[in-house]
Amino acid sequence: MLANTDALLLALTQLSQPITILLLVLGIVIGLIIGILPGLGPPIAIALALPFTFYLEPVPSIILLLGIYSAAIYGGSISAIAVGIPGTGAAIATVQDGHKMFSAGRGGEALGFSLTGSIFGGLVSVICLAFIAPLLAEFAVRFGPRENLAISVFGLMVVVRVAGKSLSKGLLMGALGLFLTTWGLDELNGTERYTFGSYHLYEGLPLVPFLVGLFAMSEVFISAERAHHKIQFNQSSLRVKLPGWQTLVKMKDVLIRSSLIGTVIGIIPGEGAAVGAFFAYSEAKRRSKKPQDFGTGIAEGIVAPETANNATVGGALVPTLTLGVPGSPAAAVLLGALIIQGLSPGTQLFAEHPDLMYAIFVGLFAINILMIFIGLIAIRFAARLIMVPTAVIVPTVMLLSFVGVYSVSNSFFNVGVMLGAGILGYVVRKLGYSIAPLSIGFVLGPILENSLRQSLTLADGSVQEFFNTPIGLSIYAALALTILWAPVAGRFNRRRTK
Amino acid sequence: MLTQRVANILFALLVIVASIWFAVEAQGFKAAGLLASSGLPSKFFPQLTLGFMAICAIIVGIVYSRRKHTESDETDTVYNNATEARQGLLVLLVAVASYFIWSKFGFVSMAMVMGPMCLVAMGIRSIKLYVTVVLITGFIYAVFTQLLNIQLV
Repeated sequence: MLANTDALLLALTQLSQPITILLLVLGIVIGLIIGILPGLGPPIAIALALPFTFYLEPVPSIILLLGIYSAAIYGGSISAIAVGIPGTGAAIATVQDGHKMFSAGRGGEALGFSLTGSIFGGLVSVICLAFIAPLLAEFAVRFGPRENLAISVFGLMVVVRVAGKSLSKGLLMGALGLFLTTWGLDELNGTERYTFGSYHLYEGLPLVPFLVGLFAMSEVFISAERAHHKIQFNQSSLRVKLPGWQTLVKMKDVLIRSSLIGTVIGIIPGEGAAVGAFFAYSEAKRRSKKPQDFGTGIAEGIVAPETANNATVGGALVPTLTLGVPGSPAAAVLLGALIIQGLSPGTQLFAEHPDLMYAIFVGLFAINILMIFIGLIAIRFAARLIMVPTAVIVPTVMLLSFVGVYSVSNSFFNVGVMLGAGILGYVVRKLGYSIAPLSIGFVLGPILENSLRQSLTLADGSVQEFFNTPIGLSIYAALALTILWAPVAGRFNRRRTK
Repeated sequence: MLTQRVANILFALLVIVASIWFAVEAQGFKAAGLLASSGLPSKFFPQLTLGFMAICAIIVGIVYSRRKHTESDETDTVYNNATEARQGLLVLLVAVASYFIWSKFGFVSMAMVMGPMCLVAMGIRSIKLYVTVVLITGFIYAVFTQLLNIQLV
């Protein structure tokens, strides 16, 4: 393992390479464009870029994807403010005050508040990531198969719980994701499982085509349904007016509180940017002296959700990098990118690749700083992007998905898998299922199966032994608490109100 | 219009049948060589997840079939209207057809027809959009083949 200073210097050297700087800027631009386009969110943006990372070194590829991730979350706020249609789920909370302010002819101010909040939240979460992740990684080195099993079950179950209204639907999707990873040769003894006589399936269903299909292709089919929906808005209000220092000082409490809320919610697997934004919005409203003004077009109503949703980026990377458990669907796709690079996210990543970790911390910091300037420029072009008809987006994303997935290994099989995953994603989304547990189940499947089988073998088949470890037991207790908390608290509150 | 209730019951049935079929298939997994008897059998995890899926599908099916029939059931449909259904499903068919066109006639043929076919499927009449999509297709082809040096055949 490299000494910390050496690793930091190596990371800085890698980050200062022209190709890395170019990809960092490109990532922000792509993320902003896709974030602004209504309907296309961070997981789709990252999934579309994923095939290109095959041709890149680990640091430039992760920097590209992180740039896309951060910028796509911010980009969603631009269409939320300008047309009242959130570009991403994370920007839904911003619509209420942002669009009201825009409609009142104060669009420039609204966009300025959203940009400032996003940058502030992003920077605070990177600092938290840089402090929390190494500590958690150091602790997680003690994990064995039983602890890995417990943390995988925890990650999957928490995602299932928050993914939709129906627990059984979420569990079904999670189990389906796990089941699909069992296709191919058994890693432990080489048994052929569901290969259907095709050598293409020996390595199982490929990750990148599956994720691109699940996120991008399913969205293509859904977007096609609303191809004739027209967007109209006042373009003259799209001139940014950044808030002054005094305004920021007045809002320091909202900024700091929302950043911390976003970071903590990002760390919890499954609680994505949308939850963070809503939570920060409701907290800002609850603590405000004029809560009745929320929803009428006030600055705090934009700053709180925008700060929190960008703060979830750094938070979501904590479990992704240290435990190998993705904090959100976008983080699941990022996890796929690390796997593509031959890296195994989890307990050993910090010990084996400290330079990569430092590159992520410094890179994410640089992304947030650069986003101020690129964001200001992007807003000038936002009007044109928002007006791009869905009829143009649908065939473009479809062709990009086809070509991107094919180019991974020049394989038609990959395109077929992408198409199959796209149809599966479309069908289940139309039936009210969430694809988040499906994607996270698919990423966690191999870890979960191996740790389960190893644990059972070590314990001589006894399930009781799973709980015979303090760390594992604590994780299961935390899981039970997160599942039971909501119904117990609900019953308690009902009794109190009676 | 297909209601969510009916569609979800049918999907739950499909999942149950598929789970049984895959579980029976898993019975035939055979490990060869020295590792055959090591650890848990290969069928264990697939059958565990399939069993779990089937139980969840049964619950979903029961929830939807026990739900009292109300007027809102008629409005709670998979598609809002026939136009949306047609557009979504036709674009899905275009994607499948494009896959086969690419495998039979090559990438260029597929790329040339994919965009316009999508627009036809979505009922677009604007010539400007057809031209835009064809130009974007050409741009993507140029970027991949010339800039990234990827062979698209």
